[in-house]
Amino acid sequence: MNMDTKMIKMNGFLSAIMDIGELLLTHGAEVNRVEDTISRLCRAYGFIRSDVFTITSSIVASARMPDGQTMTQTRRIRERDTDLGKVELVNGLSRRVCAAPLPLEVLQEEIRKIQEMKKGSDGLKLAMYMMISASLSVFFGGFWMDGLAAALSGMVLFGALWVSSLLKLNSILQTMLCSAFTALTVSALVRAGIGVQPDKIMIGNIMLVIPGIQLTNSLRDMINGDMISGLLNMSEALLKAVSVAMGFAIILLVGV
Amino acid sequence: MIQTMMGLIGSVGFAILFGVYDRKLIWIALGSAAGWVVYLVCVAHGYGMFVGLFAASFFVAVLSELLARIIKTPVILMLVPMLIPEIPGGDLYYTMQHLVQGEYVQFGNFSNRVLIEAGAIALGIILASYAAKLVRAVGTHGPLLSRKDNKEKRNRE
Repeated sequence: MNMDTKMIKMNGFLSAIMDIGELLLTHGAEVNRVEDTISRLCRAYGFIRSDVFTITSSIVASARMPDGQTMTQTRRIRERDTDLGKVELVNGLSRRVCAAPLPLEVLQEEIRKIQEMKKGSDGLKLAMYMMISASLSVFFGGFWMDGLAAALSGMVLFGALWVSSLLKLNSILQTMLCSAFTALTVSALVRAGIGVQPDKIMIGNIMLVIPGIQLTNSLRDMINGDMISGLLNMSEALLKAVSVAMGFAIILLVGV
Repeated sequence: MIQTMMGLIGSVGFAILFGVYDRKLIWIALGSAAGWVVYLVCVAHGYGMFVGLFAASFFVAVLSELLARIIKTPVILMLVPMLIPEIPGGDLYYTMQHLVQGEYVQFGNFSNRVLIEAGAIALGIILASYAAKLVRAVGTHGPLLSRKDNKEKRNRE
């Protein structure tokens, strides 16, 4: 009986640790950080050995207790959404736990608090989309009018992404459709006399959908020796870049 | 000047989009502007695009490794937004445009450019992160650590 309750308790700890790992991986942390955090936390909670294997789409961890029994849990990661603020919060939590392990209920409560945190309103995101595309289109050599047009088409891009996320499309297809729609808007805007250089405007928009963070992450993964994750991330990023290019290319080909 | 400012605003925008809201935004803004200035200075001295982008991304990566240690935050949180101005979005666009319009010579030129630029950025990040690893390794295993600390560490383990 005593054995069983101990087993259940340790299982609860491992689940909580896996939750932490999942939070990190889904919100854009490198694979290396996820593995490191999980094994540190396992040690902090009294497991004598832990073996963690993480790739971008899955986490496998088995941990051995002092009495020799081993338990294993896996997590499958399907959707990812970059939120570095959450990564930082989780990082802070794991630092605190490693310094002084929290009881299970408190730990679960802390994890839930981070999980339920909202990332910022859609209004803020929309404003950022407009600001980024405007500033980057001027950055790449556009005039002020082009910046204005880029802000407007950035707004359209945000709307398109929002609508298509409701439709739950395949992400490659989603990027392609949204890019095409944005390119269409840009050429309409230029026709209407807002903005002069359609190429600069579109570059401002492209920067929003280009998977820059993923490419950086993939390089970092490979440097850390996580070849599989690096390759996975890189091929995903390349495929996404191609789909963005295809989306814009369709409109250019039609020559609107 | 305007270009640097715009790169800075873009970086801050991305940082907010990625969920960074507090004082770190100031560091990100300054770092990304400094990185772009490094690129501009290199190009102005006639070093060309490859060296310029390499120097800029190396600078930004080292800066973010340092800042991450100082303000205790994940490196990636500083690095990704700061690198935004270096990303070759423009050339990527022209590559695609020339391909679509069937101008294969120009397409070749621009795709080469994009590859070179991406390679320069990657090399900069790789070298900086190796350097950080090296410093850390020397710090933990090297003579910088006194004997007493080592003994304590062994006892703990």
